[in-house]
Amino acid sequence: MTEAFLLILVCFSAVLGFVLLSIGSQTAQGSSPWTGLPLALIPPLLIGVSAFSVHGILRWRRVQAEQLILPIVFLLLTIGLLMIWRLRGPGGVWQQVFRGLVPGLAAMYFLILRPGLVERIRRWAVPIAIFGLLLPIATAFFGEVDETGARLALKLGPLPPVQPSELIKLSLVIFLAWYIDREGRKAEGRAHPFLGWLRLPSLHYFIPGILFVALAALALVEMSDFGAVPILALIFIGMLFAGFETRIFLAVGLIGLVLTILVGITLAFTWDIPTVIQMRYQAFLDPWSQEMVMLNGQPSGVTISEGPGYQIQQAIYAIIAGGLSGTGLGFGSPQYVPLAHSDFIFASIVEELGAVIGLAVLFLFSILLLRIARVAMLLPSSQPFERLLMIGICIHFFVQVVIMVSGTLNLLPMTGVTIPFLSLGGMALFVNLAEIGLVLSVVQRLERQIP
Amino acid sequence: MELFNLNTLLFAGKWAFIGLVYLILIIVIVAVRREMASHTPGRQPAEQIAPGRVRILSSGSDPVNLPGTMLNLMPHSRMGAAVDTDIVLSDQYVSAYHARLNWDGSAWWVEDLGSANGTKVNESPCPRHVPQPVPPGARLTIGDMVLEMVVG
Repeated sequence: MTEAFLLILVCFSAVLGFVLLSIGSQTAQGSSPWTGLPLALIPPLLIGVSAFSVHGILRWRRVQAEQLILPIVFLLLTIGLLMIWRLRGPGGVWQQVFRGLVPGLAAMYFLILRPGLVERIRRWAVPIAIFGLLLPIATAFFGEVDETGARLALKLGPLPPVQPSELIKLSLVIFLAWYIDREGRKAEGRAHPFLGWLRLPSLHYFIPGILFVALAALALVEMSDFGAVPILALIFIGMLFAGFETRIFLAVGLIGLVLTILVGITLAFTWDIPTVIQMRYQAFLDPWSQEMVMLNGQPSGVTISEGPGYQIQQAIYAIIAGGLSGTGLGFGSPQYVPLAHSDFIFASIVEELGAVIGLAVLFLFSILLLRIARVAMLLPSSQPFERLLMIGICIHFFVQVVIMVSGTLNLLPMTGVTIPFLSLGGMALFVNLAEIGLVLSVVQRLERQIP
Repeated sequence: MELFNLNTLLFAGKWAFIGLVYLILIIVIVAVRREMASHTPGRQPAEQIAPGRVRILSSGSDPVNLPGTMLNLMPHSRMGAAVDTDIVLSDQYVSAYHARLNWDGSAWWVEDLGSANGTKVNESPCPRHVPQPVPPGARLTIGDMVLEMVVG
């Protein structure tokens, strides 16, 4: 049983990792190395129990077709929890567990045990889309303002704050999968020739998708969650790209891109480019620049190096400090990078665990994405919704990982989004685990009929 | 001998962790390669699931396949009450091996396998062991159950 064997290895690595972390951080502080060790054994225990519970359910449903996704996800989760423990202590880990892992596991159980849910989701795609849109809109107006001035979360009574950012990406995936499934073939049929060899679907095919993305983008911009906007746009373009079965997909993708850029430019002219974006862009160009940060053409009082550039500098220093094999858990200083636990968690991983583990994380993500795409391609073409759903989830993860890692390495201006499974963020982890649940649910269709 | 110096322990542990993570990675890659080399061992799901599904319109006394249920079909799907059929129909008037749906590459055919109560395509009875064409949208009557052929 490949999956069971791999999960056992993951549990070993979790135990080893947390033991090293506990000993390491105690030694680095100068206290006795063995203090706090029993406490540090709890997260590996939780990881092991969660992993094998899902494994047990998959065994019970006799899922054979896909055995690699679960170990990869839990290995990534392990690395993430290690760094969160390091950065935020046990409290951070409990937060991840109770607000992300537990609901995520519940979602996975539901989705795997009742594969008919996917069909139900398809029928409820429009209400899901509307709900997904309402949350960010509500957050834009009623959300809690956090320390950077952004409204990222919505507080509903006694419940902990809810961040709709991740949920809206999943809603977009579900909505587009349903829409392309329904309308795509009709649009292909009515496509007319353009430039001789391209066949374009009539433009009104794109309207619901564009409407959704535009409304979501407006809400997100109002919330000051700028990172999610290009992700939504790329998911939109990517799914349109994937949704066509003939050669015109290239033209469709280009249309999507052009329309998105047009919308973006229009918005940029109607509103001032927000301060945050200006700062991040200048920080990206040269984080060590001693020039003044220019806001709306006016010099502000602060140099790039002191202001927005500081974050990138610290991230790069952290990566350098890590070297090939890392400083060792507990011995680095990842806390000097602002937002080390979410935006720059990759830098923390490289600092303490080394570039080799950083590379390993990238490999793991690549394989995860390829496995999900493989599920999509193995599904028969009589199930377009499920295929599009898989591709959409794949694109979602891909775009997020690429943007996050590029931002950490200063290959792209940093945006504030989370790396799946690694960053601190209850809602994000819940949604990501739910997406994996969807994948595992759909995998069952590869093997036998699902009523 | 300065064997169990704490720093050495941590150093070894660090590399052990790295080794473990890469071991997992390598096993995963090997599994992927093995899968690609043998084009999935045993059944090949994609080729086995043919373009078509049946929708249950009327379920008779079958407690599991309720109306609205969609079932995937394989190129040769046996339908019946026996548990080793591809599509298990539990209505009381369905024989153990009632009929078989065949996909010949371009169309669906149904062949009654000698059932007690017969099979009908859009109300016309099928002679035993003679494949009858099942066009898209056609209704198959098996015992008290009615299934609709859904293609694409």
